[in-house]
Amino acid sequence: MVFSSLIFLYFFLPISIIAYFLFKSTQVKNVILLVFSFIFYAWGEPLWVLLLLFSGIIDYFNGWFIERYQHKKSIAIWGMISSVVVNLLLLGTFKYADFITDNVNFLLGTNLNKPGILLPVGISFYTFQTMSYSLDVYKGEIKAEKSFVNFMMYVSLFPQLVAGPIVRYSEIAKVIDNRVFDWNMVWSGVNRFCLGLFKKVVLANSVGLLVEKYLDIQLFDLSTPEAWYGISLFSAQLYFDFAGYSDMAIGLGRIFGFDFPENFKHPYAATSVADFYKRWHMTLGRFLRDYVYIPLGGNRKYQIRNIMVVWFLTGLWHGASWNFVLWGLFLGSFMVIEKVLKKYFDMLPRFALYVYALLVINYSRAFFYFDDFSKLKIFLVKLFVSDKPIGPGLANDISSYSFLYFVVILFCIPWNEIYDQTSKVYQKATAIYNQFSLLINVVFLLLSTILILDDTYNPFIYFRF
Amino acid sequence: MMFLFSEKKGISISEKRELAQIPTLTWNNYISGNFTNGINQYINDHFPFRVKAVRFTETFRYSLGFRLKNKEKVIVLKKKDKSNISNDSLNHSPDKDFLDDFEEAYSGSLVILNGRVYTLNTGSPSMSPVFARMLNKYGDTLKGQTRVFSCVAPLSSAFIPAAKYEKYSKKNEQTLLAIKNSLSSKVYFCDVFTEMNNHFNEKLWYSSDHHWTALGAYYGYVAFCKSAGITPIALSTMEKKKRYPFLGSLYELTRDKTVRNNPDTVEMYIPQNVLTEAFRYNAYDLKNPQKSKVFCNTNNYTAFICGDAPLIKITTNVKNGKKIAVVKNSMGNAFSVYLISHYEEIYIFDFRYSKHNMLKIIQEAEIDDLVFALGMYGAMSNGTINMMKNLAYHKPQDYALVKKQESEIQLQEMLKREQDSLKRISQPKTPKTIKKDSLKPESLLPEPDRDVENNTE
Repeated sequence: MVFSSLIFLYFFLPISIIAYFLFKSTQVKNVILLVFSFIFYAWGEPLWVLLLLFSGIIDYFNGWFIERYQHKKSIAIWGMISSVVVNLLLLGTFKYADFITDNVNFLLGTNLNKPGILLPVGISFYTFQTMSYSLDVYKGEIKAEKSFVNFMMYVSLFPQLVAGPIVRYSEIAKVIDNRVFDWNMVWSGVNRFCLGLFKKVVLANSVGLLVEKYLDIQLFDLSTPEAWYGISLFSAQLYFDFAGYSDMAIGLGRIFGFDFPENFKHPYAATSVADFYKRWHMTLGRFLRDYVYIPLGGNRKYQIRNIMVVWFLTGLWHGASWNFVLWGLFLGSFMVIEKVLKKYFDMLPRFALYVYALLVINYSRAFFYFDDFSKLKIFLVKLFVSDKPIGPGLANDISSYSFLYFVVILFCIPWNEIYDQTSKVYQKATAIYNQFSLLINVVFLLLSTILILDDTYNPFIYFRF
Repeated sequence: MMFLFSEKKGISISEKRELAQIPTLTWNNYISGNFTNGINQYINDHFPFRVKAVRFTETFRYSLGFRLKNKEKVIVLKKKDKSNISNDSLNHSPDKDFLDDFEEAYSGSLVILNGRVYTLNTGSPSMSPVFARMLNKYGDTLKGQTRVFSCVAPLSSAFIPAAKYEKYSKKNEQTLLAIKNSLSSKVYFCDVFTEMNNHFNEKLWYSSDHHWTALGAYYGYVAFCKSAGITPIALSTMEKKKRYPFLGSLYELTRDKTVRNNPDTVEMYIPQNVLTEAFRYNAYDLKNPQKSKVFCNTNNYTAFICGDAPLIKITTNVKNGKKIAVVKNSMGNAFSVYLISHYEEIYIFDFRYSKHNMLKIIQEAEIDDLVFALGMYGAMSNGTINMMKNLAYHKPQDYALVKKQESEIQLQEMLKREQDSLKRISQPKTPKTIKKDSLKPESLLPEPDRDVENNTE
């Protein structure tokens, strides 16, 4: 089930909220959340829900084992190793099996059949989440959860199950047993959810309509401005799609009394690739920083190697294909260049840094889009030079979607960084938003519903009945 | 709540499809995901105010930006979701993955210019030799027995009246030229593009539909006549009928208000003094044909040969012994109707749906000409070219059955008419209840297609 579907918005969500608030006991609420989370997951993955259960059970016992032998690290470490091995094996089998087979065949000249397993939704999120739990218990940062229901609820919590953010157990441990109803928190959750829905359905999907036209259908006829136009649209689509889901997850979390970490912080306002890393999919960045970058030595030793390893893994996490790895390595290289040439970068005006970062990030999106390397090569060249003239559609597309682009840019600007929270402008804007938040939410919900319905409208050229 | 109590419809007229029904819950259905997908689909299809809400998206799209020119817009549409085609809904073909060759080849890019929609497909010269090779094979096989013609129509993108879209026109021309250059001497080429281009300013395509008009198809027919050595019937000698209004497929895809305000008129040019009889056959066998007509009384593209069927056979009173087979997609419908003036028997094979062995029928019926009359999108993919090729390999049917069954139907109709006329004679005359139609003289011969009303508004 996805958030931006009619069944979720008008059936699953209202029923789960009513069921949740019918009871006062946090324990009962946790059981209700657990049941609804499993229904939510099983709706889209009727079979692989067992995998989620398996991953949860393994790490529940790993946590228990680590804590039991916490005083004897030489034994406790086996619990941590078990968690890492099992979760990586799950990922390796269900996400990377085809990719690994392809590469083995290529390198060894073998002809092994690809397993062809369809990727279970959300596996990259919940395996990292359960792994982080066991690692944190091992490091002594958190206590192991005693209640299996509570632990499974943390692993399967439907707001963040399929698209993140990657929530650490420590972030919800305080409220897992005792959540107090706070109307302001619930309302802020509703606001955030509606905003996320708007970003995903109205902004990402509308912008996405043109992406295929520029990056697929007209690929061979693209001029350089059209190529940049197309890749910028894809950049925007990717951001609003992912950030929209994160907003919805954070909003739903607040409705149910959880405060999930932020996952995006206006990534297109970055002034460097290093800055971008701190703003894009922040919970993944945090995971790799804490469990890979720092253990490898961080900035104390082999920093360049560490940066490249982290970016390699960031790329690989995003998809089981070399183009994602290339995307990571491309950005990692620029991060290294920024480190090496830091004194020159520091001399540049802020505006030039914005432009630099935006160009590099948008250029890197080509690696993200094309998994066909021959097309990728053509497109990367077109971003620099093309012998094709600008087609007749570009001016029309820009003008026909100008208001949409205006809104997209508006949402990309970090207003909360430009205006301090104590400033009059910020406070005035917040007051106006609060006054009209109900109306804004209704408009966002209605508009999103209409566009989701538009997707269901499927006229056929000939009669099909 | 509204969802629970709202009326659930079975079909959607505007979408031309069946709406989803509640799926059956079985273990296999659940594990495969079909059950939950089916529930999602059911909710989507029966959501209250769905169609009304969808109409609003037109306004939404217009509010997304400013336009340099109000009357020009390039739009891109999503690729069709095949998941909501029910198994039962494809009454022509069991191949669920195949929608229609236009829909398959359709790039999703359209330009709306002065209330008219043009598809921005450009054709693909690289596929032309593949298409031509298929025709050449038919030419070799039928050498000395049946003449083979290639009458491929360009796409509407060939005739966009704005200089900046010239490249689309050129690519259409190149694609057709590439077909011509790859044909062997055994296949005749109809220069449909040149013939249509000579009448560039006339209404060759519908504004709201992806098909050519009767006029566009007429120029396709003229191109065929030129290569077949036939004198085409002049437009002025045919009876002109009109049906209005018509909003076609491209309106449904775009739901653009400038298109809605500019509906089409379906015009038909009906050859005079030709009596016809038509039968429609299903995809797999030659049993149980259905009586049909050459022109139908509808205000859409199904006016021509009453829409698509796997095989249609038309018999005329042109007693010259000439027979023709037409291999076509929907573009061939408006083309085929002009052939009734020149051939005694016309066999129309829709390559997308027909599973008949066309070669056997051609040989047994001793057909003189075989014409491939189709929209270019049918010649642009391996899938559709293979479908045309496969018409030579399908399991042969008992062709003798065709004549036997048609004779039986004719006999039954004659008997029914006689009985009806006897009944009327025996009944006392009651002038108040006599209908206008019943005053027409009855004929034992099949009626010519004269039931198309002049309904111009």
